[in-house]
Amino acid sequence: MEFIETLINGLSIGSTYAMIALGYTMVYGIAKMLNFAHGDIIMVGGYMIYVGLTISGNPVISFIAAVLSCIILGITIEKIAYRPLRGASPLAVLITAIGVSYLLQSSAQMIFGSAPKMVTVADLGSISFSGLTIPVYVLVTLACSVVIMTALTLFVKYTRTGRAMIAVSEDKGAAQLMGINVNRIIMITFAIGSGLAAFAGLFMLMKSPSLSNTLGAMPGIKAFTSAVIGGVGSIPGAMLGGILMGVVEAISLKIPPIAPYTDAIEFIILIIILLVKPTGILGKKRREKV
Amino acid sequence: MKSNVKKVIAAVMALVMMLGLTACSGANYTENNTEFVIGVSGPLTGGAAVYGVAVQNSAQMAVDEINANGGLNGVMFKFIATDDTNDATKVTANYASMLEGGMQVSLGCVTTAPGLEFKQLSVEDNVFFLTPSASGDKIPEFDNGYQMCFADGNQGKVAAEYVNSLGLSEIGIFYKSDDAYSNGIFEQFKENLDPSIATVETVFTGDASDFSSQISTLKNCTFIFMPIYYQPASIFMTQAKGIIADNAVYYGCDGFDGLAGQFEDFSVIPQEISMLSHFDSNATEGMAAEYIAKYTEKFGTDTLNQFGASAYDCVYAIYYAMEEAIAEGEAIDVTISASDLCEILKAQFQGGFSYSGVTGENITWDENGYVAKIAVKYTLKEAN
Amino acid sequence: MEKLKNVKWNHYLNYIVVAAVTLVFAILSLTGVIESSDKYLLEKVAIAITLAVSLSMVVGFLGELSLGHAGFMCIGAYLGGKTAVILEPVIGEWPALIVSLLVGGIVAAVFGMIIGLPALRLRGDYLAIVTLAFGEIVRSVFMNSSKESFGGSLGLDTPRFDKDILFVIAFVMVLATLAVTQNLIRSKHGRAITAIRDNEIAARATGIDVTKYKLLVFTVSSFFAGIAGVLYSYSNFTVQSTKFSYNYSIEILVMVVLGGMGSINGAIIAATLITFLDVELQTILTGNLAVLQDLIYALILIVLVIYNNAPALKNFREKYNLKAFINKFRPHVPSKHKDDEAKWDRVPTKIKMDEVLSVDFQTTSPYTPDKPGKEEK
Repeated sequence: MEFIETLINGLSIGSTYAMIALGYTMVYGIAKMLNFAHGDIIMVGGYMIYVGLTISGNPVISFIAAVLSCIILGITIEKIAYRPLRGASPLAVLITAIGVSYLLQSSAQMIFGSAPKMVTVADLGSISFSGLTIPVYVLVTLACSVVIMTALTLFVKYTRTGRAMIAVSEDKGAAQLMGINVNRIIMITFAIGSGLAAFAGLFMLMKSPSLSNTLGAMPGIKAFTSAVIGGVGSIPGAMLGGILMGVVEAISLKIPPIAPYTDAIEFIILIIILLVKPTGILGKKRREKV
Repeated sequence: MKSNVKKVIAAVMALVMMLGLTACSGANYTENNTEFVIGVSGPLTGGAAVYGVAVQNSAQMAVDEINANGGLNGVMFKFIATDDTNDATKVTANYASMLEGGMQVSLGCVTTAPGLEFKQLSVEDNVFFLTPSASGDKIPEFDNGYQMCFADGNQGKVAAEYVNSLGLSEIGIFYKSDDAYSNGIFEQFKENLDPSIATVETVFTGDASDFSSQISTLKNCTFIFMPIYYQPASIFMTQAKGIIADNAVYYGCDGFDGLAGQFEDFSVIPQEISMLSHFDSNATEGMAAEYIAKYTEKFGTDTLNQFGASAYDCVYAIYYAMEEAIAEGEAIDVTISASDLCEILKAQFQGGFSYSGVTGENITWDENGYVAKIAVKYTLKEAN
Repeated sequence: MEKLKNVKWNHYLNYIVVAAVTLVFAILSLTGVIESSDKYLLEKVAIAITLAVSLSMVVGFLGELSLGHAGFMCIGAYLGGKTAVILEPVIGEWPALIVSLLVGGIVAAVFGMIIGLPALRLRGDYLAIVTLAFGEIVRSVFMNSSKESFGGSLGLDTPRFDKDILFVIAFVMVLATLAVTQNLIRSKHGRAITAIRDNEIAARATGIDVTKYKLLVFTVSSFFAGIAGVLYSYSNFTVQSTKFSYNYSIEILVMVVLGGMGSINGAIIAATLITFLDVELQTILTGNLAVLQDLIYALILIVLVIYNNAPALKNFREKYNLKAFINKFRPHVPSKHKDDEAKWDRVPTKIKMDEVLSVDFQTTSPYTPDKPGKEEK
């Protein structure tokens, strides 16, 4: 019983990581860049929902507005900060991503102030059976993650744009020679990734209604860790990694002497997994050309 | 080779000039002051910004009021707030720049971690500080440091005494294990708690925002002690709805203040919420209500919390102490050095000076720099 | 005298500059011209340079991305600080300083070696996340340590060294870091290291002991990160683990990247400028303006990185850069001999991450990868 309860808690924590990791892995797997600003796009999504709710009062309208503004933001960031550096060292892009992250955080503080905002999106309540209580948002988040995961996998596998994405991730130059508009594909990737960030923002707010400008920072890193555990570029891997991280976190929090070390334990698990399987659980091994 | 020599000289000159801009004068930074300068270092950006901003706003408000009333014998006050983002490493630069900018008296640091650095720096130059909210037990370690808030250890002790008096058999404790404030209260609480009371302890770290695991650990507790700040507390309470019994009691320390501002409608939380504090941002009477009205008019309710109230009191306490010192015949002119002013203020704070303000009446300080005032148990919300 | 002429002055330029700067400031400090804020700034600059140069070995020369440099520094700061606390009353200030520098450096180096082991197996981003994880683990361990051992969440109280002397010591450590790093890089071992960076498999095929060199670089680099940590503990009254989060590692990485990877002088300049900018922004933008700090910092970062790296701005860059500006004021002297060896630290980096990105043919498209040797045309 205790164990099942812990597992449910793990799912609750992990579903958020999985949701964020899905967005992360899109950008990461295809544009091959560590988008450190991803967590902050989630934060912007959160604030957009807040603004929408304040103006319209309708959760659906504000959510759609948040998705749209995140997509526009993602495309803008890509165009201004990342595209000029295409072909330069990937580390340079990493640094601009960090710059963008700082920029978004401080802009949010300038606009919305330093105090955390309380945002009540929708109170879905919880269901209980045989002594177990599961908050409904956990189920909704999990269901949505699975739907998004499936949709993304199908999209990448079976549509023209999706296959072009794989081609771009494999080899940009060759993809361009094959007539793929690399810039456009990467822009679409960013649009999808940022749209998913808005989803993640929504589910984070449903769970913990307190909104501040550092909302996305640590979950972003955790989700990135999840994506790596699952195998970079693998969409089901991101989901799996996220859930795994959540369960590890829940178990570790249950054991009093190691509870304060929870973050460390998650990272230790990461190191162990990578040492056993250097490309993550579902990652593919890449042959090296000499 | 010749060009290399030139390069060397050029590089050295460039560096020297870069730094040399600030090079000037001698040790007496206050001789050109035209106003009394009060400085503070606090988190104005980053995760803890709400506390620093509250202090900055309130202290500025107090200074403006004092100046509008003619200052101290016609001399105005000036307030500087520097940003340390709750990072002790940044305090050194803040402190030096404020001191070199003529700071004569300080509010120390807003939070404990940087405050530990500040107390060491300020004792070297003998700068008086009265911190509004750095509540660590070791903050007033030296004779130049005073606190306006309750020290963590003290809060833990008083809270434990209160819990002991309730006659409970088991309580839950939820605290932040990587936070000096939370840890400080927890340790003293645990030490002073009646050993016959069983405890269920659970922790969180960092910016965690999913407490489902901790909540399920505590789900059978009917009394939960939470020495944490209000943002994580509000998340905990929202997530605990329906899992923790509706007749349970959440009991916190002064960090709980600000909680009411988080919820549009407090009744969404079924449980009773109470706190041990020196200030309640829902106060409807006395100086606290006056302060709240003034603050809300200027800055809204967003950043209204006990940090600000405490800072407001700090500025006034320093002002009145200086006024009393002058009445007693001490000479305080505008160019007084920080060290001289420190001696005068120390004598005041040790010599029976008492202050009544927003966060308490007849506040005095003991020889260790800890504040002596009444901690009130506020019930923020009754059980539904 | 003839011997003196053959000395490659370019190799010693940065030592001379650093030593001269130290000397000038030491004299200024003795005469009481500079304020204590300047001394604090100098300490910070020296620590930043030590960190940037040591990280530059891993990122710029070995070509592995490390996001855990702050973790090594953390180890140095805590262990060095603790050693200083214990030893200072027993053996006095100066011996304690030397011992704690050694302890902090060596323990950090041991951990660097341990972290170097996964580097043998992992690539690019995977290694980056492992180093990040390592840094966070170290931080968490110190954060949750008991009050008696390392102070836990309150941090470790460490002795602060006399501020009139500490910055000189810190710059001496910078010189030591430079001496070790540059001598290593310019030796045959250095060429082996850059060979691993450019193509590990080819390097292995030519008989280079990849394992040995990778471990060597990680060890040396973390040794100096540890030294920087000890200096940090001496320049602050408390060592608090919150400082050493991955954000700080990234800050160090920014210095390396901004300085131009694989350029030690660049790392020195970038570390100096960024530290200076940081402190100035922090002390100038007070009160309500504080929120602008990160904004300005971020904008400067983005603009600088794009200006420095964007392929489209290459022509522009060649026309308007600092070197061209300085050269304008200098009579053109044809160089007598081409200094091939000096080029070794100028080879543009091809980091492993980029192996995934790179295409194997030359095109005129904007996707030309940065191949080594392109600038030597």
